[in-house]
Amino acid sequence: MRKLLLQLEPVIWLLFGQGILIGTLLLTGWGLVLGVLLPLGMVPEEALSYDRALRVGGSLLGRLVLLGLAALPLWKEAHHLRSLSIDFGGAERDVWIAPLLYAIAALGSLLALVAVFRIPFPG
Amino acid sequence: MARMAHPQAMQPARPPRTRTARPKAPDYLRPRMLSYLLFDATGIVYLLAGLVVLRAVFALASGPAAWQAFVADLHHPGYVAFHLLTFVSAVFVGVRFFRLFPKAQPARIGPLRPPPRPLIHAMLYAVWIAVTAFVVAAMVGVIP
Amino acid sequence: MADGSKTKTFIVTRFDPDRHEAPTTETYEVPVRERWKVLDALNYIKDELDPTLSHRWSCRMAVCGSCGMNVNGEPKLTCKTSLAEYGDTVRVEPLANFPVVRDLVVELDGFMDKFRAVKPWIIKAKERAVEEGPHRQSPEELEVFRQFSMCINCMLCYAACPVVANEPEFLGPAAIALGHRYNEDSRDEGARERNRIFRGEGTIFSCSYANECSEVCPKHVDPAAAINQAKFRAVLDWAASFVTSGPREE
Repeated sequence: MRKLLLQLEPVIWLLFGQGILIGTLLLTGWGLVLGVLLPLGMVPEEALSYDRALRVGGSLLGRLVLLGLAALPLWKEAHHLRSLSIDFGGAERDVWIAPLLYAIAALGSLLALVAVFRIPFPG
Repeated sequence: MARMAHPQAMQPARPPRTRTARPKAPDYLRPRMLSYLLFDATGIVYLLAGLVVLRAVFALASGPAAWQAFVADLHHPGYVAFHLLTFVSAVFVGVRFFRLFPKAQPARIGPLRPPPRPLIHAMLYAVWIAVTAFVVAAMVGVIP
Repeated sequence: MADGSKTKTFIVTRFDPDRHEAPTTETYEVPVRERWKVLDALNYIKDELDPTLSHRWSCRMAVCGSCGMNVNGEPKLTCKTSLAEYGDTVRVEPLANFPVVRDLVVELDGFMDKFRAVKPWIIKAKERAVEEGPHRQSPEELEVFRQFSMCINCMLCYAACPVVANEPEFLGPAAIALGHRYNEDSRDEGARERNRIFRGEGTIFSCSYANECSEVCPKHVDPAAAINQAKFRAVLDWAASFVTSGPREE
């Protein structure tokens, strides 16, 4: 397991890098709308209606953005929580912490991939 | 400096000749270090944010009833507070990460040279603002 | 005071392996002159107040790298750190993350082992004969790694690093930066060998980019940049391995 993890480090780092880069780019707007504009009443009812959500989220770009928003932050999370665990004396427990965190990220990514394909295609 | 470092931190391959005192860990309470730990700790926010989006996508795939239930939940104060935290975390992560990103680029990648570091930094901010504006516009119904 | 000095309190770590189970502290009142560095105060303590205090120093001009200590919790070259930066109380401790030999003196052998591991010298497939002349390098080629060659081995980066504190195998900032410096050197042909080391346990990917090494580096070497550039290279190598001949067995 340790050896496999070592071989996968470049891939994991790449996914983490995308998670922190693209994840942050996308989550800023997502958080701004749902955490600031929504409680201020600046998001019209119609904007969040099912039909519109389906039209926007079901487009190719919409699906890609949703996939990025759901999957990429999980890799940032896994990598950073792993290093946080190590920073608090966790070199030994990393043997199971690292596989666990990366497994959560991988599973979440897989679910996200399945989910964006389950969004009904128009027509 | 109360915390101790790993007992073997910086220990030579051969044991030292005299008895040594166990190393102490760096001071975790200095502002820079706290900012780094907080940066890593936003991982929890990112995890939950990813899961909320995952729920959104599943709700969208499951039909109008599931979607309406999800949208109703978004108005719940707990969700609003969490998304405010998400926004603050993303801004904090962005500011720190975009500062550290340019210097992690190798000076040369084959024949290619990355742009000067201040330019990369400025480009990241420009893209950040543009993507955020795009996401906001799409979510509040300005576009398409 | 008449001579323009101002008294500051120094809380200094003391440890005598023959007498102490664990490090303790001792407090000294030092009449600090204007423009004194932390090292001047330590030398005053040793010369005038307590000759049993042990600390390392040599050049007094931030070149030899031997007077690194934790001052008020932050790794500093004591010869370069002005006392004007601090208030009335100054805490001087041995560098964090290092086993303590005595008082402010730390064990260096572990650091030396890590340095050797990255093969910090120019590796050539075939040694060049003297008649063939020197290895030429353009100023542009030098600029690629020059910054990473400025290290004075003062170990402040090791004392600042949260990964070093918790992962004893971690090669650490200065050693990886030095390995990367040779990898980026146009005269060197040892990148393959060093990258094999960099892909082992406790090397580049153990770094969590806290950036503390670069913050405390007195020579602006920026080890964090070197380590993360090395990660970037590893990713490119990994991607290239698919284009060339499938995943490479190393």
